[in-house]
Formats: sequence, structure tokens, C-alpha cells
Amino acid sequence: MRIKVEKRLETPKIVYIIIPVASILTSLLFVGVLLLAIGVNPLEAYGVMLSRAFGTKFGFTELFVKTAPIILTGLAVSIPLRAGLWNIGAEGQLYMGAFAASFVALYFYPPIIVLPLMVLFGLLAGMAWASIPGFLKAKFDLNEIISTLLLNYVAIYWVEYLVYGPMRGKEVYNFPYSDLFNDYAILPRFFGTRFHVGVIISFLIAIAIYILITKTSYGFAVKIVGSNPKAAEFAGISRKKIIVSAMLIGGAIAGFAGMMEVSGLHLRLRAAVSPGYGYTGIPVALLARGNPLFVIVAAFLFGLLYVGGSAMQTTFGIPVAIVDVFQALVVLFIIGGDFFTRYSISFGEKGEKR
Amino acid sequence: MIEAEFLASLIAASMRAGTPLLFATLGEIIAERSGVLNLGLEGVMVSGAMTGFYISLVTGNPWLGVLAGGIAGLLLALIHAFFTVSLKVDQAVTGLMLVLLGLGLTGFLGRDLVGQVATYIQPINIPILSSIPYGNAIFNQDPVVYVGIFLVPLLWFLMNKTRYGMELFAVGENPEAADTMGIPVDRIRFLAVLIGGFLAGIGGAHLSLAYAKVWTDGLTAGRGWICLALVIFSGWMPQRAIFGAYLFGGLDVLSFKLQAVGLGVSYHFMRMIPYIFTILVLLFSVIREREKFGAPSALGKPYIREQKF
Repeated sequence: MRIKVEKRLETPKIVYIIIPVASILTSLLFVGVLLLAIGVNPLEAYGVMLSRAFGTKFGFTELFVKTAPIILTGLAVSIPLRAGLWNIGAEGQLYMGAFAASFVALYFYPPIIVLPLMVLFGLLAGMAWASIPGFLKAKFDLNEIISTLLLNYVAIYWVEYLVYGPMRGKEVYNFPYSDLFNDYAILPRFFGTRFHVGVIISFLIAIAIYILITKTSYGFAVKIVGSNPKAAEFAGISRKKIIVSAMLIGGAIAGFAGMMEVSGLHLRLRAAVSPGYGYTGIPVALLARGNPLFVIVAAFLFGLLYVGGSAMQTTFGIPVAIVDVFQALVVLFIIGGDFFTRYSISFGEKGEKR
Repeated sequence: MIEAEFLASLIAASMRAGTPLLFATLGEIIAERSGVLNLGLEGVMVSGAMTGFYISLVTGNPWLGVLAGGIAGLLLALIHAFFTVSLKVDQAVTGLMLVLLGLGLTGFLGRDLVGQVATYIQPINIPILSSIPYGNAIFNQDPVVYVGIFLVPLLWFLMNKTRYGMELFAVGENPEAADTMGIPVDRIRFLAVLIGGFLAGIGGAHLSLAYAKVWTDGLTAGRGWICLALVIFSGWMPQRAIFGAYLFGGLDVLSFKLQAVGLGVSYHFMRMIPYIFTILVLLFSVIREREKFGAPSALGKPYIREQKF
């Protein structure tokens, strides 16, 4: 017997729906086994997860609050990915955005300019941080996966340094926090919950990016560079410019996410700005296949995971790391399943000439 | 001669700190030589670190821990091999998910290990060498350090002087030609990824059982990524990997020692150094590489035999 793998000529449309759904279910099954292994009833745990997110006003708005930064990091990964680049550094770009915005919030004056400047500095800081790997990639072809990732550590240590040192607040006891921001540095909130205006802006950014990459010549150039560099060259598109600019846009969006988290949620700079949203952006971008509107959908899935994950932690003491496991499993199952969309498998006799 | 003594102890500590990096880098060199990039090294190492710690804690035998660490690394690598070699899935995607999977699983399963004390690997004094001046520091290492040193010429021999090494090279450079010559491309790649995972897992176990002597969440702290850079730095040659690994081991040690001396530099800046230095080393490597050392030509590309319709 010999297994023969052949490229499919056409793929039934239904496969594209079956695979993600089946992958999510299979991942839930696997995670369920892990939960059983530590003595937690998975059905109960998933029940808590869903009832937290959909059962209360707080939980439901919290779903949006947690989804918003994931939309942004998903976009921060997606745009460079369309140009053929891996931005694994959204986490660090987010931290740099949080730092710059906090700096403005704590030290700038007069109040009226603070919030706009926080946004501007957040964008610029994320952009600046992403420009390093972007430039090194364009100029020296330095592996952007490694450089973006390593810069995350540097950014996180930088923020830690600040909140343990020069930016540590006066009334925070021994916590690694800055002082609370003044009211004028805080994004407006609604419904008496943590639902802040940044959530809405995140959705608008996703739509704007959708328009940018599908309706403009820039978006077209990015796509060509990512999918067919040779054709891009013939069309006279500068690959280097696209590489750097795609990284800059991604970095700016991640930087805004950092600004949003400190100004909308934490209301101060702290050592733990993000629980890993930058990394979550990677599976989100992969599931969305680079489409910003699908990024919103995928981000909701992972937002639900974060809301549910913290509910499971408080109820059952399950480490939030389970969220990472779920993320990895979903993507692995989907890309594994993709194999069956691209290839058909048949069995032939051993020794058959291929 | 306090300086010389300090230097000797620094070298010794660098070797100890560099050994996890050495194992993972050597393993990744083999995998990449075959044409498979395993970006999941961080996840593989951390799995080895936690599993090794756990098994040593339970059995009281650190050697079983090291073995278990290797097997944990191998199992994660098995996922990578299955996806990238058998299913021809994008190597970067699978590798990145392996990082998440490894960090997630160890964070989840290792929650009760935090703060525990396992049985650690003890150093062995090499009789004659340790009696030469300053040898006492350098030749009083745990056995894994010696195995790591021994692995370097072994892998050099394997890669350069054996049939397996030739096949590995052929598969990584030009899989089509290798296939035509009857070399089983997929089998060689599969095995190379598994060897890589096993070694990286052992490296992780050495980290938790001989160097850090503790389990914390995300213990590897980016070492897997540093190793990926070290592979490039070494030009895919085992004999160069050892210098890179010990250099970074030294950097790790130095940042702690300078902290202890109290140079007035913030702890956080010290912790940044290895990551910044890695980028600089990488930059140096890619600039130099243009002239001389090349990556395996087929690195990162799945090999799919020509399709017939």
C-alpha cells in the first residue's frame, strides 16, 4: 500500500466552514482532557466561561474590552503578513505605545492636548519600535521573526524599569505601578462598565485597514509583494518600501493598543500592560487569513477565551496559560485540516510508479 | 591572582549557563541542515525544562529527569515533523504555534511545581584536569556539560564524514536532486527534526536541573530564540555553535555578577543585554554571511514531489 497525495483541482466550499468549526470543537475536546487531568470537570469549566461572557452585563462588555486589543494586535500582525513578513513583535510595540502614552499622561500639560498627544505618541512609539526590525529586514535581510520577538523582551524590561524606577507612583505602596492618570488622560467609559471608547475606535480601525488593503493601490502593492515578489519587481514596486511601511503600520496599530490599554483600562502604567495580546495577534491573523474583517471575528473568539480564562481561573484555579494551549491547538488543527483542502489522498499499490 | 580566579570561575559558570543553549543550538543545526526550520525551539526547550524538573522531583533521579526532558522535546518536535514534513504545512506557522503550545502546556501543567525543590544534577570533579591551576573551577562541572562538549566533535563527524551527514546535506540543499538519487527526503527530515527536539529538550532539562535549579513559568525566557540566532551565527556548523553558546552563557552570568557587584546599573537594563546582543550578533552574521556562509538552500521550504494531474 502506498499513500498518494495529490493536489486538488477544486475544493468544495463547505470545507472552508467545516474545518474551522471542527478545529475549534476538537481543541475544546483536547483542552477538556487537560482539565480532566487536573481534576476539573470540563463541561462545568466551559459553562462558567460562557456564563461569564454572556450571562452578565459586566461580562458581556468585558468581552468587548478584551476583544478590542486583540483586534488591534491581529491587524498589527496581518498587515506585515500580507507583505510576507512575520511581526511577532506586536507585544513589544504595544508596551512601547503604553509607555509613550503614559509619559504624556503623567507629565504633559495643558489637559486639553493630553489625550490627542497620548494617541499620537502611542502610535509613534509603536511605529518606532517596529521600524527597527523593518529597517533591518529591508536593508540587511535580517530575519524579522527573531528580531521582532527579541525586541519584545527589551520593551517589557523597559516598562518594568520605569514602573520600578523613575515612573513609579507615590501612592502605590510596593506595586510596580505609576500614579493613576488624571481624568483628562482617561478614555470615556459607557454603561457604568469598563467599556471604553477605544473599543469602538478599534472596530473603526479594522474597517479603515480593510479599505486600505482592499481598495487602494497601496494595499494592492502590499499584496503583490507578499504573494509574488517577482511580479512586484516587474511592476516597479519597491519591495523595501513596502516592507518598512507595512511594519510601520503594524507597529502603529499595536502602539495604539498599548495607549488604549493604559488610558482605557488600567488608567496607569504598570508592569503587566498586556497578558500576551501581541502573541494572540498571530493566531488571529492566521485564522483571518489577513482579512481585517475576519480579524474582528477571530478576535472575538480569543476575547471570549480571555474572559472565560479569567473566569475559570477565579472559579477553579485553572492557570490562564490554558488560553495559550487552546490558541495553539486551534491553529494547528486548522492548518492540519487545510491539508485536506489542498490535497486529496488516495491509496495505491506498493511499488506503483509515481 | 584574584583576577585569574575570577576569570576561571566566570568561564566555568559560562559553560554551565551556555550548555542549555549549546544543546538546543546543535539540535536546531541538524534540523535546519535537513531543510526544516523549527521556530518552536522556545516551546520545545521549556517543555524539556518543566518535564525534566517534574520527573526529577517525583523520582528523585535527575538523570531520569534529563531523559524525560529529551523525550518531551522529542514529542513536541514530533508535532512539528508531522505537520511540516508529512503534511507540508508552513514551517513558520507550525513553529510559532509550538512556542505557544509549549509555553501554555508548561504554564498549565507546571503550576504546582513553582517553588518546589527537585533533585539537581551534581558536578563531577575530573581527577587530573581539575588539579591544574584554576582547573578546579573549569573541570568541576556536571556531566551534561561534558556531554555537550563531546557532542560537538561527534556531530561534526556525523555531519561531515558519514553517509547520513551527506544525505542530510543533500536533502537540505536540493531535495529534488536528493529525491532523484533515491535519498528518502521526508524520512531524513523527519528524523532530523526529532533529533533536534530531543537535544533541545535535554538543554531545557539542564536549565531547570543544573543551572537555574528552579521551575518558574516561562523559565527559558527567550533562550530558544537566542538559539535560533546562534544557529545563524554558527553558520550551521557545530564547531562554531559552542563558542556562541558559551558566549551567551557568559553574558547571562555576567549580567548577574555585575548586578551583585553593584555597578549601579539597573537590573532591568542588565536583563535586556542578551536580547540586544543577540540582534547585534545576528546583524553581524547576516552581513558576514553574504560572503561566505550560506543557509541550507532549501531551508524553510516544504518538499513536495512534483505533482501530476
